[in-house]
Amino acid sequence: MSDQSNQTTYWKSLNELAQNKEYKNFVEREFPEDATELSDQVSRRSFLRVMGASIALAGFASCRKPVQKILPFSRQPEELVLGEPLFYATSMPFQDSVTGLLVTNVDGRPNKIEGNDAHPASTGRTNIFQQASILGLYDPDRSRSPLQNGEKVSKNDFAQFASDHFADRNRNVLFIDEATSSPTYHRLKEELLAQFPNAEWVTYEPFSDQNVIEGTQIAFGQRLRTVNHYDNADLVVALDDDFMSPQAHNNSVENSVKLTAKRKVESTDDSMSRIYAIENAFTSTGSYADHRLRLKSSEIEPFTYALAAKLSESVDGLAAFSGVSNAFSSHRWIDILASELLANQGSSTVSAGFDHSPTLHAAVAAINYALGNAGNSVTYHSLPYRADRNEQQAFFDAITELKAGVFDTLVMVGTNVAFTAPSDLDLVQALANVETKIHLSDYVDETSRVSDWHVNRAHYIETWGDGLSFTGERSVIQPQIQPLFDGLSEIEFLSTLLNGEISSGHELVQATWSNFLGSDMNRAWETVLHDGVDAESGFDAVNVALTSGFASEIAPSLSSEALNGIEISIKPDERIYDGRFANNSWLMELPAPMTKITWDNVALMSPATAERIGIDPERSFKDNSVPMVRITAGDTSLEIAAWVEPGHADDSITLTVGYGRNNLGRVADGVGVDTYPLRTSQELFFRAASVEPTGNTYEIACVQDHHSLEGRDMIRTATLEEYKENPDFASYKSIHGYEVPGIKEAEAEGDDRGPISLFNENYGPEYQPQWGMTIDLNSCFGCGVCTIACQAENNIPVIGKREVGRRRIMHWIRTDRYYAGDVDNPTAYHQPVPCMHCELAPCEQVCPVAATTHSEDGMNQMTYNRCIGTRYCANNCPFKVRRFNFFNYTKEYLTTGDDPEIIQMAMNPEVTVRFRGVMEKCTYCVQRVQRAKINSKIATGSKRPEDGAVITACQQACPANAISFGDLTDRNSAVSRNKQNDRNYVMLEEINVRPRTSYLARLSNKNPELA
Amino acid sequence: MSKTYEYVPEPALVKGNYDFKDITAMITDINLRPTPKGWYIAFGFANLLLLVLLGSIAYLFWEGIGIWGLNSPAGWGWAIVNFVWWVGIGHAGTLISAILFLFRQGWRTAINRFAEAMTIFAVMCAGIFPAIHVGRVWVIYWVFPIPNSMTMWPNFNSPLLWDVFAVSTYFTVSFLFWYVGLVPDFATIRDRIKSKMGKLIYGTFALGWRGSNRHWWNYEKSYMILAGLATPLVLSVHTIVSFDFAVSIIPGWHTTIFPPYFVAGAVFSGFAMVLSLMIIVRKMYGLEDIMTVDHIEKMNIIILVTGSMVGFAYAMEFFIAWYSGVEYEKAIFILRATGPYAWAYWIMITCNVASPQFFWSKKLRRSVGFTFFISIVVNIGMWFERFVIAVSSLSTDYLPSSWGYYSPTFWDISTYIGTFGLFFTFFLLFLRFLPMVAVAELKGVLPQADPHNYDEKGEYVPPVVEIPEPYNKPSKNV
Repeated sequence: MSDQSNQTTYWKSLNELAQNKEYKNFVEREFPEDATELSDQVSRRSFLRVMGASIALAGFASCRKPVQKILPFSRQPEELVLGEPLFYATSMPFQDSVTGLLVTNVDGRPNKIEGNDAHPASTGRTNIFQQASILGLYDPDRSRSPLQNGEKVSKNDFAQFASDHFADRNRNVLFIDEATSSPTYHRLKEELLAQFPNAEWVTYEPFSDQNVIEGTQIAFGQRLRTVNHYDNADLVVALDDDFMSPQAHNNSVENSVKLTAKRKVESTDDSMSRIYAIENAFTSTGSYADHRLRLKSSEIEPFTYALAAKLSESVDGLAAFSGVSNAFSSHRWIDILASELLANQGSSTVSAGFDHSPTLHAAVAAINYALGNAGNSVTYHSLPYRADRNEQQAFFDAITELKAGVFDTLVMVGTNVAFTAPSDLDLVQALANVETKIHLSDYVDETSRVSDWHVNRAHYIETWGDGLSFTGERSVIQPQIQPLFDGLSEIEFLSTLLNGEISSGHELVQATWSNFLGSDMNRAWETVLHDGVDAESGFDAVNVALTSGFASEIAPSLSSEALNGIEISIKPDERIYDGRFANNSWLMELPAPMTKITWDNVALMSPATAERIGIDPERSFKDNSVPMVRITAGDTSLEIAAWVEPGHADDSITLTVGYGRNNLGRVADGVGVDTYPLRTSQELFFRAASVEPTGNTYEIACVQDHHSLEGRDMIRTATLEEYKENPDFASYKSIHGYEVPGIKEAEAEGDDRGPISLFNENYGPEYQPQWGMTIDLNSCFGCGVCTIACQAENNIPVIGKREVGRRRIMHWIRTDRYYAGDVDNPTAYHQPVPCMHCELAPCEQVCPVAATTHSEDGMNQMTYNRCIGTRYCANNCPFKVRRFNFFNYTKEYLTTGDDPEIIQMAMNPEVTVRFRGVMEKCTYCVQRVQRAKINSKIATGSKRPEDGAVITACQQACPANAISFGDLTDRNSAVSRNKQNDRNYVMLEEINVRPRTSYLARLSNKNPELA
Repeated sequence: MSKTYEYVPEPALVKGNYDFKDITAMITDINLRPTPKGWYIAFGFANLLLLVLLGSIAYLFWEGIGIWGLNSPAGWGWAIVNFVWWVGIGHAGTLISAILFLFRQGWRTAINRFAEAMTIFAVMCAGIFPAIHVGRVWVIYWVFPIPNSMTMWPNFNSPLLWDVFAVSTYFTVSFLFWYVGLVPDFATIRDRIKSKMGKLIYGTFALGWRGSNRHWWNYEKSYMILAGLATPLVLSVHTIVSFDFAVSIIPGWHTTIFPPYFVAGAVFSGFAMVLSLMIIVRKMYGLEDIMTVDHIEKMNIIILVTGSMVGFAYAMEFFIAWYSGVEYEKAIFILRATGPYAWAYWIMITCNVASPQFFWSKKLRRSVGFTFFISIVVNIGMWFERFVIAVSSLSTDYLPSSWGYYSPTFWDISTYIGTFGLFFTFFLLFLRFLPMVAVAELKGVLPQADPHNYDEKGEYVPPVVEIPEPYNKPSKNV
């Protein structure tokens, strides 16, 4: 492409002439496509030249503004003001659903992702994958050009090849793709299948809700989407279903939003839903549940049938299970769950994890149906774009045909089958039987390396696209920037195969949407772009009924038994999912929600299992090394670090996938162990295995070395009943039996702000606003999205495994996780800890150079320029929230590799990047506070923004709405109301530092029978 | 019946029947003799260690504080431990020279010069650490109250700032005190040295000293005033160093017992260090008659007393932790004795509390070899005391989620070892070029300094005043 703009009007082929149309458009554009090639030296020079040209031609060029018209969200000024962020609605596709987002775009540079309030799957909230995807955009390791047999070629070479190769429409083409809900994609897919009569099209996802859909096929005779409405459910039974976590459920954000909203307690009059979690590994959902039962993965199925059998005694519709009697039939929990479910008919949800069998999901569907939940707290929806077949089986069959040499061309769209496919399919071998293999992907990955053609995929933030939410609402994906590496989106790729030339994603999407939007296309289109969602759309709800053959279809499975001995359970990873986010350093460095491990995958096991196989369940406090185990399943065996997780089911070992990469990128390479080889097409999710310690050790970077509260009062909890009896349970006096020392003396002096103090506290009492924060521990389930959001907002560096292992992690907000109770079956508590912004901040008193001081609006500020790095403030911080730049982390982070400019673009221009040797910490997002104050001053003349005008990054991301922030001098602000809540408490009240960040005590809605 | 009382004379402070001339020769000859080979070997070794220090510091400045084992929660580690340890060592010198001077303890004259030199070099070693342990060493001058266009002053609330003043004052006064004491001895060497250059240099430092009555009068006054100034500093420096910890709110640091406990510990470790050095030096330079076993015994008694004070403080900390009812305070002390740093805690107790108790035995406290051994043990123990205080408190403070273990890296250790290079380089230069015993003062405690000038028969005998000869190289056959 760059050749063309430089050379010019001569053309050598018709194709080139066709491409020259683009050149003609050159003057109309604000900026030519070349500008996206910042990559190598040569094109950087041409970049400068073109840059000059475009300024001359267009007069004004804001560097990377997309060409097509995209509409900013309502909160933006009329014209672009340099330095003022604009907000654009878009959405992030993840498998076959999209979540609506709002992208902050500063001077043509997207640098922060937030949830879109108007989108049902987001309601303004996000998960870690969405937050971290902005870094994925700027990943310098993304593939930068198409490759033909490993050699760099241009995008046009590929188009030329496609045009030649697919001129023969009778080719036997196999398409393998990822799950997607894009209407445009499906339109092009239809066209391709129509044009290529001998083509076969299969979709493969290593983890998906496939089995849930198959379950509805068994139960109701239709392949349907199951949507659980946690906002309507008083009782939630999760059978190994971590539905609040993004790796385990595509709709985790909406699930979390609704579930936590149902459990908000503002006064003693409020109620909470009750959650029962029956699960194998200790998950976030399990830690949030009121009652948790640990069972091996393979025990979940018989347990469910036993439950159905018990229920069949009382309700109609479960006759198929009536005869079931197994090891769990007399389990204490069966009676309890049955009576709870019967008491909450029509207002409960029963759900099971995606990795369980279709028959188990059928049983769950039948239970929901029989209890009258269907149509109320659980709804079923038709999936119009989905083929009515078992996609997974179709994929396996297609691979068999592939091996037989049926296909001459293989087109792989996005998927990384060479890495993720079950080991018994021997996919790499199968690929050798195909003449032409074309692969579209973000990275030059395992599959790209065995393909003839690799095409670099454009990131969703830089391309046009569309998609449907989990519940079917249509959204458009609008680009925020020109493709950095000039890649193709999936739809552009398919269109290239179809037409032999590259067409604009914008036109492709508009062509599809003209069908949806009808006559008043332009106006409706603008509305959709603006809102980010077509609110009118959605999957049709289906009234379901059990099929007549249900009993006979499910009968053969009912005798299923748990695996004997040790089983392994293979799950998608909490951070990198199936491996697709493996090169995202924010995610890699995010402590896993329960284990707090970074930069590795491990074999999770219970303390009892560890002891049984000969591993010390106690981990050394002094060093990071943990024992390794060899896991052998079938003829596959691998060595991996063992990690003892209290609360894990005995005799079961949980592994996560996606690690052990080579040559993928500088983040992913060499991290962890590839566990995919343990999966087979018959036993994808759990299977029997043997495990033995190898005597080797392995260093693990875990950010929390001590897991007990030691009887301290950082976490305060009560049951809902206890709270109603004693609303004041979280106060210091209730916990300790006496008042905070010094409070009486202060009261005698007429000071009601806290215990008596030596220091002058009048730093700005007349000033309004005064900022404060509350964190509701009753909502937090420890997902860690606050950490990623904060990292994105505040330019927090990634420091790597070695540095994390040395306990130098830089996160400004961390989530502490404590275990309490029995080591085999503990309760887990999550506690997000940002800077407390103490009114009598101990850090401020000890800094010799006054680098940390108080602002008049009550924030503890850090002046980086003044800091000399004595670390005294960090020592004197009782909460240990201060983070020190031991090395020049930022420099390493921002200048790694050949292309420092790329990663620098991800930085928030409103936040200083910190140099080596200075201290940093949570600022309460002071840049957002200041912006709100300025805006308020301009609008109303008052420097006191209205409630809700300042939303911190962590608060904005939190799907549990656990964090509130605002002005404490406004008695009606959300944060003030929370501070007036009975459950409000501060940590370490007795040392009288007067934190501005306080917590709302956690409640649990216990069943008295189990308590 | 009448009682007879026997007069028990104080043992002579200087053994052997030396006259003034012998003393002058014995001490200043060391400086005037050709440099012995052994000195070169020792100096070379000290220089190597000094290079280690310079190399470690250079790498530290280049790479950043991250080369040390520090982390969150342990923001301070070996650097601060070493700082406190070296400052503590320095204490003995000032105590011996100032406080014992004011208390008219004649035995101090044998060791005061030596101990003061040790103080100065120890404080220099100590001073390195707070300067280099900051993240941005190139702006370390911001800790000084230098007027600037931003009218930005340091934070006078911060104990680290107090440290800056306390340590720099201490160093200045100690140095002046030492120098003033050296003036008459500089003059002695000036008079004895033959080389012109030597005469010029020593003469310059001797400030024109001619030993006139007026000179002595001025000297005695200024020495007294400096002793008076230095005395509160002995107490204040370590008190303020202890404030670094005591003023904070970290359990295990926030303790009012720290000032006296730190001062006692400092004297304890300082005396141990003086003993370690003295026992070697008196042997090497044949000064057993000046630095006698009586001196060793007296110092051992101080070690026994201060060691027991420190032991009492340890016990008191536990008592207060229990008595205060503060759970975090209780937890930290229990953790010290039983937790991840129990090994360090028990090394500390063994070395600091148990080992000095041997000195209840007269035989042991007069045993030179045993004293040397205990002096080393005490110094190890006192290093661990600072380690236990600084690191264990930070490692396991309020929030159990933040607990973390600290271990040093190669660079922590090399920097510490390197400071011995600095210390011994200076100390060896001192031994070589300056009189290591205060010649003028020592003469004052000789029997000859208190002449009765009458013989047994009551006849007046005029004192013999001998002017020492200029130093001549002893001929080879002597």
